[in-house]
Amino acid sequence: MIHSTKLKIFLIGPTLLFLLACILIYQNITYNDKKLRVVICDVGQGDAIFIRTPQGSDILIDSGPDDSVLSCLGRHMPFWDKTLEIAILTHPDADHVTGFIDVIKRYKLISFYTSKVEAKTTVYNQFLKTLKDYKIKQNFLWQGDRFTFEDDLTMETLWPTEYWSGATTNSFSTTELSSYKSFKVLLTGDLDAEQMEHVTNLAGDIDFLKVPHHGSRFSLTEEILETLSPEMAVISVGKNSYGHPTPFILNLLKSKNIKTLRTDQNGEIEIISDGRTWKIK
Amino acid sequence: MLISGPVKILKIDGVSSQDSLLLIYYPKIEKVKNDSGLVGASLKVISSLRQELINLFSKTLPTPASSLLMGIIFGIKEQMPKDFSDNLKTTGVFHVIAASGMNVTLVGGFISAFFAFFLKRQIAIILSIIGIIFYAVLAGLEASIIRASIMGVLVFSSQIMGRQSLAVNGLALAGFAMLFIDPSLIFDIGFQLSFAATLGLVYIRPLFERRQRTDSRIDILEKKKPNMFTVGIGGDISTTISAQIITMPILLANFGTYSIYSILVNGIVLWTVPILMIVGGVGAILGLILEPLGKLLIYLCYPLLLYFESVVRFFGTMGGIIAIQSLSFEFIAGYYCLLASVLILFRKK
Repeated sequence: MIHSTKLKIFLIGPTLLFLLACILIYQNITYNDKKLRVVICDVGQGDAIFIRTPQGSDILIDSGPDDSVLSCLGRHMPFWDKTLEIAILTHPDADHVTGFIDVIKRYKLISFYTSKVEAKTTVYNQFLKTLKDYKIKQNFLWQGDRFTFEDDLTMETLWPTEYWSGATTNSFSTTELSSYKSFKVLLTGDLDAEQMEHVTNLAGDIDFLKVPHHGSRFSLTEEILETLSPEMAVISVGKNSYGHPTPFILNLLKSKNIKTLRTDQNGEIEIISDGRTWKIK
Repeated sequence: MLISGPVKILKIDGVSSQDSLLLIYYPKIEKVKNDSGLVGASLKVISSLRQELINLFSKTLPTPASSLLMGIIFGIKEQMPKDFSDNLKTTGVFHVIAASGMNVTLVGGFISAFFAFFLKRQIAIILSIIGIIFYAVLAGLEASIIRASIMGVLVFSSQIMGRQSLAVNGLALAGFAMLFIDPSLIFDIGFQLSFAATLGLVYIRPLFERRQRTDSRIDILEKKKPNMFTVGIGGDISTTISAQIITMPILLANFGTYSIYSILVNGIVLWTVPILMIVGGVGAILGLILEPLGKLLIYLCYPLLLYFESVVRFFGTMGGIIAIQSLSFEFIAGYYCLLASVLILFRKK
């Protein structure tokens, strides 16, 4: 019986090889279209944002409260690519750091950045141990630090400043403004309006905003939204007991006519931009 | 046994701090007393082999494709992301990642065919029996794989002795032996499902076939061999229906839900399973010896995995779940009496 199975393998082999070649060619074309992709992964209550640069570098900002970020990465990277060029942890809270424990085990992290603040939680300690086991060095990001990529793509750190001494880990959230030609995305971690005011002045007019702190009551103010005047906002949120996103923030966004998407209602959100125009996939 | 890991105290309103619940993250389970001798040494080898395999697959394919393949070939589930395993459950195909009869058939068949080239047939069969036991340990010794291994070992041993083996006798022996060693297994859902499903394949599935074979004298392992071209999707659907008819009350009583798409989903994905097992399994073995070659074979599985994954995700989001609040004992008893009477009626003809 096995002999007939073996014969079939000789038929199946070329078929699979052909299909694999098709996928290879297809993914090569779609992922190398010189466009910026920003994906707000649907990881439940937490944050995980994946960016693929026009030249094919992979950036992961935060990793969600569990391992569901892995599926998100699997869907948005070519299947043979198991390398993350840049990984950023905005701050050490469990709903941002937990997924990294699994990501580190399966992907090669070229560089790892975070905010200089520590947590005493067990998950964070587990994460630190995993970093150590895989010999990954921690680097810190401060206001003014800037990643420069090809094709006029930059990613600039707007927060925290080196002299910041806030009371909460949230207030240390690394905040990144990525600018691809004229297209601007602001990724805000779990900041509160107090720090957002500093960030807002540096960021200016943007196209796309990740609402800070899952839409908490004190994440945004009317003035902040007026300065940023994003065309679209995304709230990364799931089932939670904090009342996120708060009606206050939802109404505020509505009153400013900002189209708002939520990962708990819309699933994962992918933004594709060529630097001038952009669309939601 | 030593279970270690970071512990978090869960605070619950109205519960005093002494009675609080503890939640352990990333538990690390170690055996404190190390078995010396052959058994201990081989267990050690198998567990490090398992880790090597996990590394090989997760380094090669993206998630969840890698965890799906590991589940299908080795029944390894701990790498499966929760969102994807939920989708497998809602679409009714979670059983593919439990190592069972088909895995044992392929492992045994592969080893005996390979060694039959340069060894005596009897020795090749003995090696395949050892291979099956080795595989069962590697797959984590769940109820389904123990059942299938006992039946598989019986089939292969009967070949040495030149006797015919009856599936239902093998099933009864496997059940008796397992319950003799651990009577509490009868409450294990995996045990119940595995035995019920096998009974369904032995007694119900033949009813779907036009040319009825004699009676239950159908070798269950023979029945489940990968005949994807001869039986194909139709065969998969009748297998699924046979198993579902008999396991339905167990599933409903334990999980309270039934997916209306499960027969369809099983019908359109199950044909990939034997191919994935063979190509991925050979890839795993080669990968341990020569990594690039093994990786190539694992990559070859990717198109089918992507197909499997997309189907499961598509139907996972479709819903189609029927939820049942409670199932009374009388209903279950009546259901099985009815099923038994229908089966006896058809067998008499």
